[in-house]
Amino acid sequence: MNFWDYVSSRQDQLISDTFQHASAVFQCMVVAVVLGVGIGALTYRSDRAGRIATLATGTILTIPSYALLGLLIPVLGLGVPPTVTALVLYALLPIVRNSVVGLRGVDPALVDAARGIGMTGLARLVRVELPIAWPTILTGIRVSTQMSMGILAIAAYASGPGLGNEIFSGIASLGSANALNEVVAGTVGIVLLAFIFDAALVLLGRLTVSAGIRA
Amino acid sequence: MKWDRITKGKLLVTPLVLLALLLALYLWITNVSLDSIEKNSLNGGQVRLYLWQQIELTAISTFFVLVIALPLGILLSRGFARPAAPVAIALANLGQATPAIGLLALLTFWLGIGQRTALIGMVAYAVLPVLSNTMAGLRAIDPTLLDAARGIGMSPVGVLGRVELPLAVPLILAGVRTALILNVGTGTLAAFAGGGGLGNLITAGITTQRTRVLIVGAVLTVCLALLVDWLASLAELQLSPRGLEVHQ
Amino acid sequence: MVTNDAPITGATIELENLTKRYPGNPNPSVDSVSMEIGAGETVILVGPSGCGKSTTLRMINRLIEPSSGRIRINGEDVTDIDPVKLRRRIGYAIQSSGLFPHLTVAENIAQVPRMIGWGKQRIKDRVEEMLDLVGLDPREFHDRYPRRLSGGQQQRVGVARALAADPPVLLMDEPFGAVDPITRDHLQDELIRLQHELHKTIVFVTHDFDEAIKLGDRIAVLREQSHIAQFDTPEAILTNPADDFVSGFVGAGAALKRLNLTRVRDVGIVDFPAVTVDEPLQDLFDRFRSGGSNEILLLDRRSRPYKWLRRGDLMRARGSLARAGALVSHTVSADATLRDALEAVLTDNGGRVAITGRRGEYVGVVDMETLLNSVHELLEADRLTALEHREELAELQESQQHQRSALEGGPGGGAADGAGGEHP
Repeated sequence: MNFWDYVSSRQDQLISDTFQHASAVFQCMVVAVVLGVGIGALTYRSDRAGRIATLATGTILTIPSYALLGLLIPVLGLGVPPTVTALVLYALLPIVRNSVVGLRGVDPALVDAARGIGMTGLARLVRVELPIAWPTILTGIRVSTQMSMGILAIAAYASGPGLGNEIFSGIASLGSANALNEVVAGTVGIVLLAFIFDAALVLLGRLTVSAGIRA
Repeated sequence: MKWDRITKGKLLVTPLVLLALLLALYLWITNVSLDSIEKNSLNGGQVRLYLWQQIELTAISTFFVLVIALPLGILLSRGFARPAAPVAIALANLGQATPAIGLLALLTFWLGIGQRTALIGMVAYAVLPVLSNTMAGLRAIDPTLLDAARGIGMSPVGVLGRVELPLAVPLILAGVRTALILNVGTGTLAAFAGGGGLGNLITAGITTQRTRVLIVGAVLTVCLALLVDWLASLAELQLSPRGLEVHQ
Repeated sequence: MVTNDAPITGATIELENLTKRYPGNPNPSVDSVSMEIGAGETVILVGPSGCGKSTTLRMINRLIEPSSGRIRINGEDVTDIDPVKLRRRIGYAIQSSGLFPHLTVAENIAQVPRMIGWGKQRIKDRVEEMLDLVGLDPREFHDRYPRRLSGGQQQRVGVARALAADPPVLLMDEPFGAVDPITRDHLQDELIRLQHELHKTIVFVTHDFDEAIKLGDRIAVLREQSHIAQFDTPEAILTNPADDFVSGFVGAGAALKRLNLTRVRDVGIVDFPAVTVDEPLQDLFDRFRSGGSNEILLLDRRSRPYKWLRRGDLMRARGSLARAGALVSHTVSADATLRDALEAVLTDNGGRVAITGRRGEYVGVVDMETLLNSVHELLEADRLTALEHREELAELQESQQHQRSALEGGPGGGAADGAGGEHP
């Protein structure tokens, strides 16, 4: 069976896997962005807290994803819970680090001006600092999204959702007629999804980054 | 060479924590009763072999990543290779988007099962980020420094050897660290390509539903990753040119 | 700046029809610059940003390869020699100092001597010597990294590095552009002092005209495409700007700036009757009676100006010198600029000021009338030399234009001619 025959015969399964892959990454990224930017916003004003946050999230990123899944399975069981946890944890570092860097990189004169016209700390953060740091944060989100795509593929071995299942089913049936087709379908599907997500994030940047600071 | 840049805290904290972790793991696993499957998976020789395979995979693949990525990065940042640079960057982006497990699986179909296949996959996966980092770092060097270097009469080789490369040392070391970390991680997936390594323990733990096997494999992998990262961070501290330190 | 206390170590530089074109741009960035620079001369290229002055400078050490034209240093055509070898014979200092951050101050300075193969000890001695020369204590700065130097110190090290291998020519591309005005002033003074000792040939690019008149033996005012609007001494440019472009660039107050360039000792200092306090009073009276002067300058025992005495002052003070006359409040050194002298004359009630020598001793007096006369004479002389120089320049350009058209011209046009192919 050639690749296209395979794709058409397994259309439903592939579409459902692709949808699950996209949906899992999307939901995890939403959680990771909220958490990551939150941690960044809470820690950027203190040198020490910022360092600890970066160090902690950096340590998580150092741990191989397959090992982290292995550690989560005894606690959370198989399937969606360890997958989502791992995805969110891994996605944190680039977002936290870029939030801290971006927020700290705001010209002190601007912060001073914001204070001078009577903005509170929160207003300053929301109306001045975050919008200026946003392009940097968005870069972090792009990196995290790319990473999540690949990690989710591995999580399929722990019964996670998505296109990784195609790859592992191919590996398991090495030598069978459809093994290669499955691996190719899973891998190419993930690469395509990664590009679509990245393009969407670039578009989001176009729409949300103030024209005044666009590079 | 002076060693004054590595503080006691940097030198001691990580190894002590890792040591404690491993000790706890050892005490725990020797004091619980294991069933036959677990005994089979966790026999001492087997674990040592997997650990050694993992280290071997990481070391060999990192070596080849550096041998390929650094010279290529330098080459692509020379004036005459400018047109090729965007192609390399595009390729790097594509590489980043490819899931490591998919890449390894595809290589298995092509090259068959074995350590060689796993190594090729690991190198291919880590070359691209290190390459794009090297190029970005060389490009970030202040152009006035290069102007000054040429202006006082350095030859192109002299500019590269005495100015560009020393200034790029932090970046090259960061590349080494990135490659090491990526390779420890991808190394756990080598098990799926028949390359051995600690991934075998984790896989066995999942398929046989033996939590203890899973934990031993995972904790050993985590410890190895953190140890490698710590060693790399020490090297970064020690080998960066002194004039470039951020604080005193 | 021509003094003879040190041998001239510089080399002559000749630029002949030097041109730089960039692909895709119909107009050359630098269009046929010709210039002759004498050995030991400091020439300033000054002009608005984007006029091609930096490009011109960078073509001299071929950091930018000229599209056409020749460069000769000490008569040797260096247009086609190995640029790396060429640059090792030419010092180069730039705006941001360009110090290598991963090397210490000493290692930075040692770069060129090392490349041309000096021995270790010689390099070591030379580094110390250079640090001394630019006014940095070798013990303190030898092992510092550039990051731990102030902007001014970095510039000094940059100049030390440029001079380390004792090159005859020094190229400086806005070297003091990035430091604060006070430091810049110091660095300029230091450069003048250095040049007094070394007599290198310096080509210096700046957009600051005041810097140009302060440092330059001659100034080339450049307009777009590096066309030379005027190439002359600071005095001549100030008094007789070639056209509106130059006078616009010189800015307001050119005549006043001109006063900065001449020292009091170079203009007519008039004699003035002077008497030291030790002489008997009777002599004083005799001087008033005999001479036509109404006023005498009284000097103290070390012959420094002490009091202005008018006829009658002594009478009113009943013969007491201690009470008679007005104390001298201002004196001006013979080394001061005419501008300082004018300032003193304007603030003095009597419209004159006493001039003193190196140890404060009385030399003479300058008053408004002599000052104005000498300034007029100066300006007139400047004007004449400026006219002469302009004619010379025009002749030079005309003859070169002639040569070029001879090269390109001829039957069949210049297209077949290799050298002419560069030109439209």
